[in-house]
Amino acid sequence: MTNALHVHDLCVTYDREVVLRDVHALLQPGDSVALIGPNGAGKSTFIKAILGLVPASSGFVEVLGTTPAKARPLVAYVPQIDHLDARFPISVQQVALMGRYRRIGWLRRPGRVDRAATLDALEQVGLADRANDSFGVLSGGQRQRVLIARAIAQDAKLLLLDEPFNGVDSVTQDVLIEVLGRLRAAGTAVVMATHDISVAHLACGHACLLNRHQVAFGRLDDALTADTLKATYGHHAVMLAEGTALLSTH
Amino acid sequence: MLGIIRFLTEPFAPAYMQRALVISLLLAALSGVVGVVVQLRRLSFMTDALTHSVFPGIAIAFVAGESLFVGALIAGAVAATLLTFAARSTRIDQDAFMALVLASLFSIGVIVVSRHRSYSADLTTLLFGRVLAVDTADIITTAAVAVVALGVLVAIRKELLLRAFDETGAEAMGYSLLRIDLAVNLVVALVVVAAVRAVGTALVVALLITPAATARLLCSRLQSLMMSAVGISALAAWLGLVISYDASVHHGIRLAAGATIVVVLTALFAVVAIAQALRTGMARRRTLAAVAT
Repeated sequence: MTNALHVHDLCVTYDREVVLRDVHALLQPGDSVALIGPNGAGKSTFIKAILGLVPASSGFVEVLGTTPAKARPLVAYVPQIDHLDARFPISVQQVALMGRYRRIGWLRRPGRVDRAATLDALEQVGLADRANDSFGVLSGGQRQRVLIARAIAQDAKLLLLDEPFNGVDSVTQDVLIEVLGRLRAAGTAVVMATHDISVAHLACGHACLLNRHQVAFGRLDDALTADTLKATYGHHAVMLAEGTALLSTH
Repeated sequence: MLGIIRFLTEPFAPAYMQRALVISLLLAALSGVVGVVVQLRRLSFMTDALTHSVFPGIAIAFVAGESLFVGALIAGAVAATLLTFAARSTRIDQDAFMALVLASLFSIGVIVVSRHRSYSADLTTLLFGRVLAVDTADIITTAAVAVVALGVLVAIRKELLLRAFDETGAEAMGYSLLRIDLAVNLVVALVVVAAVRAVGTALVVALLITPAATARLLCSRLQSLMMSAVGISALAAWLGLVISYDASVHHGIRLAAGATIVVVLTALFAVVAIAQALRTGMARRRTLAAVAT
């Protein structure tokens, strides 16, 4: 079976400054890893390296058995919701339909199959009835769900999410966890940057702790311990009970 | 009522006014649609730089006695390509680079024209166009350019929408941003080329920016944005020509037709913006009053 993601000794530099080093990871289809670390720890950089948008200065990243650039059609990326302009004149359905663009190809129009797949994806996140609304009138959580629908419509083998639980309502949180579970059961691997340790426990089997270098990677219970959290967050981590912690992100 | 209809239609009795109207409406359709794309991609300043970069091309063509259209086309293609690559570079400060290109290429154009005998009249023509002097060939060229430019936009509308909405998402899906950006910038250059004879390189910026900005105040759907921008632009073209004709023929005041169209566009923007501000203000006062009671 081809690995969903294989990262070996990855190092990324910007302007000669090392922003991320010593990263190793191995994910099988259906696995899910939470990228945990403070702001500026290199979580987004790691995701960009998996997408092949930032080059590895040493080490390698292999996605679905090939290079990140070649794997892109099979990889879905969900950006942070506040990185998108909420005033952009676009409908919910138009956003979700973007997941089909690579399949449709240049110059061609979306067909009936694409529209059906889009509506089905919106159904899965509970927003089929909002298909014709403006993207901008939705709440932050609902917008996040539309982006997840876009990723579902893409039918990817690897799903990358950048802080999908940031500032979302509890309905959205439940929908996201359910949808991620369904996708994983169907063989999609998931990489998710998050601040939220409890969400990591709910949605992921693996954890990868980062603070400009890799502190730990492994099965969640092995990798996410009081010691590794302290090593990642320094003195800003306060362990409350098993599996929970109070973290300052600054 | 009849008086108003006559005021609005009478100026278009002479053939040169009919040609002016036809080319203005063509440009309205083209620049309305492309203007919305410029706004969504936040390319207003790039557009300004592009219009100035086309100027030396037409100046050289003019002095050499060659076709202005061909001069503009070559300069537009070169400038659009250069600006696209510059915008992708992380080493160059975008704003500074564009301002530099804008000013230096414009100066080259002025130097070229200033070596010609009828310097100031020529400069005026190239900068502000002569909408009342266009001939049928100009109209046909403009229509052909409009078909090509709009054709490109229709062909890549999916990719364009994705790139404007979610840049990283587009890259993550494996799209070449450079290719999409180059196509858009070449389309903007084509609009400048199409508009050179009628409104000149200085005023075409207004045709691209103002109708789309006005439409943005009125609607929030892509299709209605484009239709409103075209409508606003066409209305301004019509009114601008009527006002400039009426002022010159009936009141002996010479108003340059192209510039009058631009002033009408700006006036429409101001009216809509003020109306919107008043409406928002009234709604806020009502909410405050409701809260107070």
